[in-house]
Amino acid sequence: MATDDIVLEKASKHFASFVALRSVDLSIQRGQFTLLAGANGAGKSTLLRLAAGVSRPSSGRVLIAGEDPQRNSEARAAIGLLSHHTLLYDDLSAEENLSFFAQLYGLADGTQRVEEALEEVGLLEHRQRRLRGFSRGMRQRLALARATLHRPAVLLLDEPFTGLDQPACAALSQRLLHVKNQGHTCMMVTHRVGEAATLADRLVVLRRGRICHDQPWQGSSQELVETCAPFLGTTTL
Amino acid sequence: MAFFSLLVLLVFNFSFELGGAALHEIGPGVLWSSFVFASLLGLSRSFADERENHSLDALLMAPGDRSAIYLGKMLGNLLFLLAVELISLPFFTLFFNLSPGWFLLPLLGVFFLGSACLSAAGTLFAAMSSNMRLRELLLPLLLLPMILPALISCVEATGLVLDNKWGEALYPHLKMLAVYATVFIALSLMLFEYAVEE
Repeated sequence: MATDDIVLEKASKHFASFVALRSVDLSIQRGQFTLLAGANGAGKSTLLRLAAGVSRPSSGRVLIAGEDPQRNSEARAAIGLLSHHTLLYDDLSAEENLSFFAQLYGLADGTQRVEEALEEVGLLEHRQRRLRGFSRGMRQRLALARATLHRPAVLLLDEPFTGLDQPACAALSQRLLHVKNQGHTCMMVTHRVGEAATLADRLVVLRRGRICHDQPWQGSSQELVETCAPFLGTTTL
Repeated sequence: MAFFSLLVLLVFNFSFELGGAALHEIGPGVLWSSFVFASLLGLSRSFADERENHSLDALLMAPGDRSAIYLGKMLGNLLFLLAVELISLPFFTLFFNLSPGWFLLPLLGVFFLGSACLSAAGTLFAAMSSNMRLRELLLPLLLLPMILPALISCVEATGLVLDNKWGEALYPHLKMLAVYATVFIALSLMLFEYAVEE
């Protein structure tokens, strides 16, 4: 029987009087790649932040691999987050950034793992360069290396294609497909749903903080755009 | 920070006729005003690197106790503040015509405890205000009223040392500073993850 890596049980999130998430129930099985779609303000990023353990639900609970990431620091070690922000330090080199996070995660083979990670994203020759001089595409590749450095069971992706040109999007999609094939449980938030067609095997749509659509997915980019369009109120995704 | 602290001392030097009686009247207040203003500069930059690319999220996601982030930042601020104070002291003695001597040695204790109070409270408020739009304004508004009891003790204790009257009279002020720093560090360790969460 498949186990659930990400579980939200009646999870709600309020910001003062604004309700971002309303009693959301969601279970994502191990190895599943879930695409989370929705219009601006639907609560996608809030849901992802709850799952990442960087924000706590106002009510309900969130479990990652059966543990609350807020209370259990080991549960947090099972999560990787790739966002449109790199979550890296501009004044450090690529290698220094990854080494810092390898130390934070207490990786025993830190130096070797950093080299592997840099090689996987094609940045080994730029290891000594500071992040400040990196292009947007290179930054995002390094951010992916950081997110997967500790080989997390769960990978959360928040608008990873933002600011990338078409070749860089295609390259990132390829990398994510590789990550998916390695068996990571992934949840991706994106407006560019077309990019996610080859990756996703489940589609969840949020509207005003509630799940309004949830179905297994297998299909082309065009079909995915057409499926999402009625929920997002546009046909030009 | 050190340069700013020296500038404040210089401004006071030209604004008032420092030296002689002024040393005992306003000297300790001038000295601690320069430290507080300099610390505000440093504290407001405490989370600047994390703000740039939202890397605080990555730190919060790392395994381990989140209060370690606070402790690291607090110790960093404490070291910088102590360095600023040690750099400023010779200039202070110069501007106030104060003859340096061993009697100034207890100032190190006052500086250490005063800086611990400033960095303990300041790091927490810097974390709270780091994601706000008016953070440069908000930090002094939050910190200055809160630091006032410790600041009074710092000024009183520094005055006693400059008057060469340390001993029994100095002890209550040092105790007050130690208690303030301990309480604020303990509170901050408990509240830090809530302060940076949203």
